[in-house]
Formats: sequence, structure tokens, C-alpha cells
Amino acid sequence: MKTLHVAADLLREAAARKWFLGLGAAITLLLLVLIGGLRLEVVDGALAATRLFGNALFTPIRAADVALRPVFIAASYVIFYGGMAFGLIACSDFAPALLSPGRIEHLLALPVRRWELLAGTFLGVVVLGLGGATYGAGGLLIILGFKTGVWTWQPLLAASLAAVGFATVYAGMLAAAVFVRSAAVSAAVGALLLISGILAGNRRTLLTTMSEGPGRWAFGLWSRVMPPLSTLANTAADLAAGSPVAGAEVGTVVAECALFTAGALALAVWRFEQRDF
Amino acid sequence: MTLALEATGLHKRYRRWMFGRGGQDALRGLDLCVPRGSAFGLIGPNGAGKTTFIKCLLGIAWPDRGTVRLLDSSPEDPAVRARVGYLPERLHLPGAWKPPAFLSAVARLKGVAVTATQLRALLERVGLLDSAERRIGGFSKGMRQRLGLAAALLGSPELLVLDEPTDGVDPLGRVEVRRLLESELARGATLFVNSHLLSETERLCGRIGILSGGRLLREGPLDALCRAEASWEVRFAPGADGAALVAAGFRPTQEGTFHLDAPDAAALNAALDRARAAGALLVELTRASRDLEDVLAEALRAAA
Repeated sequence: MKTLHVAADLLREAAARKWFLGLGAAITLLLLVLIGGLRLEVVDGALAATRLFGNALFTPIRAADVALRPVFIAASYVIFYGGMAFGLIACSDFAPALLSPGRIEHLLALPVRRWELLAGTFLGVVVLGLGGATYGAGGLLIILGFKTGVWTWQPLLAASLAAVGFATVYAGMLAAAVFVRSAAVSAAVGALLLISGILAGNRRTLLTTMSEGPGRWAFGLWSRVMPPLSTLANTAADLAAGSPVAGAEVGTVVAECALFTAGALALAVWRFEQRDF
Repeated sequence: MTLALEATGLHKRYRRWMFGRGGQDALRGLDLCVPRGSAFGLIGPNGAGKTTFIKCLLGIAWPDRGTVRLLDSSPEDPAVRARVGYLPERLHLPGAWKPPAFLSAVARLKGVAVTATQLRALLERVGLLDSAERRIGGFSKGMRQRLGLAAALLGSPELLVLDEPTDGVDPLGRVEVRRLLESELARGATLFVNSHLLSETERLCGRIGILSGGRLLREGPLDALCRAEASWEVRFAPGADGAALVAAGFRPTQEGTFHLDAPDAAALNAALDRARAAGALLVELTRASRDLEDVLAEALRAAA
């Protein structure tokens, strides 16, 4: 219960930050532009014409659901990588702020367990990421649904996978902040994890390009430990496009990310329980 | 005697690195008991270990050795911490929030149900009701301190641990804070105050501890600490021969009394006999008392 209170307080704090107000305004503005500027003419389930601010976009006549697939794929990647890049900068300060002198002493003197503070911070940030992704993806779905009559919930699932990816990266950022109370270090660790996650997702391809030796062995080991974020992003895009994706494939990649998240959080809690403030 | 807090053999060393051997001793075998319902003031120079002691009391820092009991339980138990109100030395407050929102958040984490009316009453108690609709970011240091005090008072805690409670508060505000804390004491709460302001500590606290270098140099009731065992204030009837009294070992004071240093009863009576032989008539004899500043200075000198 205390974890939920900590998470709710973090969301209140985020609501007062310009970063998040700006993100909310930017997504809303983008959706409003689509509402007002995008005109889609659908005839018998086929997308006959597309106009953006009155200018015709020359696209072949295709079934509306097929025509929307590239849009959903692009939106999925933007939400996944764009959201993560935004999140790792905008959220890098939450944990260092929690641990700041004068605040952490006060919190630790309250009847809250140390792990609850970390869990609440993590949960709050994940809810923030999920909320942003769902708002963007959901808004796009509703607008395109009304304009084309094509209703699909799968881009929402893709958005939730983006939130899983962000949660994985943030777990590492949180652990880093517990060791070194610095927003810059936290953001740098997040960026490193994102790059590592992209490489880890392409480990098989990359390993084939490497010659045998300690470097290849080290990369193989390291990329096994890192969360396969690019695989997760590709899976999310496939889901958004309505392409057939095996449930086991999604489950495996989510489980790998969840395992990394659990490990990073366990490390963070271990250090946090020991630390003096 | 039931105790609000009890520390036994408390030792704390701050290490430079996580597993390093270097570092600095902040507490060196500290023993301290504070009875319930009392007001205890911990004083000492900067770096004495006062804040570290408070952190060890509340489970914010972990002692290397020794034990801490808080309200008959371990400070690691959240249920015990729910019965404690704490004001840190430099409380960090969310600048974008308003006082009621901050107090509500603290109340939720404390598990205390508070209504808007109760929050307003609390803000009125600390003199912040007029600023209830202002953002905390625009508050002065003194106002932040008052808000921190309000947060500490949430849920009527049995023990109030206050680290520099009047730091940054204006002189009139200090009087208000003191009255507020006196009312908490009258309610039955125990006060543990850590302050640099000796006059404030002296006015509020019945028991004092002097900490230096991580060790408790002196501890006890304020009047006992301030009483000078070997010094006396003596008042004679008008007409006493001042020169004869000085010759007998008495030192005149600005208040018209005389000061006498006598290590024991025999020396005291011998001096008084000499005064009476010179025609002086004794009308008042009291142990000389010192203020807390003198006591602190003497304790630090003795320790050095």
C-alpha cells in the first residue's frame, strides 16, 4: 500500500514538471493536428485518398487496414525508441531526487520500508511511461479508427511492450542512482542500456560477423545478460501492424527483459537497504 | 522509569568507500537514555556526531556496533516509526506543491487519516495558515522549517526528534515554536532536540547531553549540569566590610553579592568563619550556577 502512495506522489511530482507537461502537450498537439489536418477517404473499406492539410498524398488504393500498417509500425517505433529516449532523460532525476539530502532522511524516518520507497519510485515511473505510450497510441488509434473505420487494439499492446522496454531500462537507471546519486549517471546508464539492448537484440547477426576469440566470447556473454530491447521493439512493431507473432516469442523476449529488470531491482534494493543517509 | 529512547555502546564509522577501511568515527561507544515525557537537548560543536546519532536512532544510518531502542522497540520496525515525528536539519520540500498537499502526502505515508480541517488547524499551529495556498517553492527558510515541524507533528507522535527546529526562524517565531513544543511536552510527548542555539535548548529542555567527538561528555538534568559544585554565591547583610571579605577569599560580583570558590564543606565554612570574624552577616548562600555556554565550553576544554 505504501508503495502505491510513493508511486502516486511521484506522479504528482511529475505532473508539476515542465518536461512531462511539455510531452503531454506535444502528444496532444500532434493528435489535434491529425484530427484537423488529416483527411482519409474510405470507399468500401479501401483507402481511396489521403489529404494532409488539403494536399493530396499519392498513395495506391489499398484496403484501409493494409494501408494503416506502415503507420502503426512507424508509430510503434517512435513510441518505443522516442519514448524511451525522452523517458531516460526526463526520468533520470526521480531517483536522485528521492535520495537527495533532507528528503531521504525524512522519508526513511516515516513508517515506510526502504524497499517500498524504491518499488514505489519504479512503479510510478513505469506508470508514467505506460501512460504516455498508451495516450499516444490510444489517441492515434481512435483518430484513425474514426477516420477509416478500422478498429484494432494491437497498437495498444505494442505500446505496453514499449513500456516494458522502458521499465527494463529504468530498473538499471534506478540501480545506478542508488549507487551514485546523480541524474547524469542515471541517464548515462539508461543510454548505455538502450544501446546495449539494441546490440543484444541483434546478437546472433553480430556474432556471425566476429571472428573467434576472447572479444567474441565477451560480447556473447555480455549480450546474453543485456535485455534484448531491439527484439522487443521489433515484436511491438509486428504486433502493431497486425502481423502474426507467436505468443511464445513475445513471452520469451518479455521474460528476458523481466529477468533483467528483477535483477537490477534486486541489486538496487540490496544496496539501498545497506546504505547510510 | 520508562524510556523513550535508549542507545547502548553506539559506534558509527563513516567509510570512504563501500568496503573501505578508512573513514571517520562519528560515534564512539555512545550510551544515552531519554525518559518518556521529558525534553532532552543534545548539544555540541559541529561534527560532534549529533545528526549521526539521530540518524542511527531512526534507522536512517546503521550503527556499526551497539543497540538502539526506540519506544521499547527497534527503529527498523515501521510501526514504531509511525509513533515518531522527525524534523531533519535541512528538510527538502517539493517546491511545486502547496503545504496541504505536502502534509497530506506525509500523512498518507505515516498512515494517519487527516481531514482538510485538521490540516488547516495544524498549519495554524505552526503559523502558516495564511500561506496555505502558496507554493512551497516560494517559502523562506523559516517557513520551510515551520512546515517541516507541522509534518513532524502529524498524528500526535509520542516522540518528537527535532534537528535544529528553530534554524532560520525569526526571534518571534522561535518563541512560537518553543510554545508549541512546550504544549507537545504538556501533552505527554517526549522531545529530543538537537540544536546549536544553546539559549533555546536551555529554555526548552530539562535534560541536556553534551556530545563531542562522538562521545557523550556530560549528561543530566539542566540544573545539575549548570550548578558549579565548588562555587558559591554569597550575600551578606548591608554594611559588610568589602576589603575584609576580599581578604577572606570572597570575590565581589556586579550584582552586589560575593563569589566564593570552596572545594569542600570545610573550606566553605572556614571562609564563612573568616567573614563573620570580620563582622559580615550571612543572609544568603547558594551554589553558583553557569549558563549552558559555560558548561559546554568547560566540558569541551576538559575533553581536549
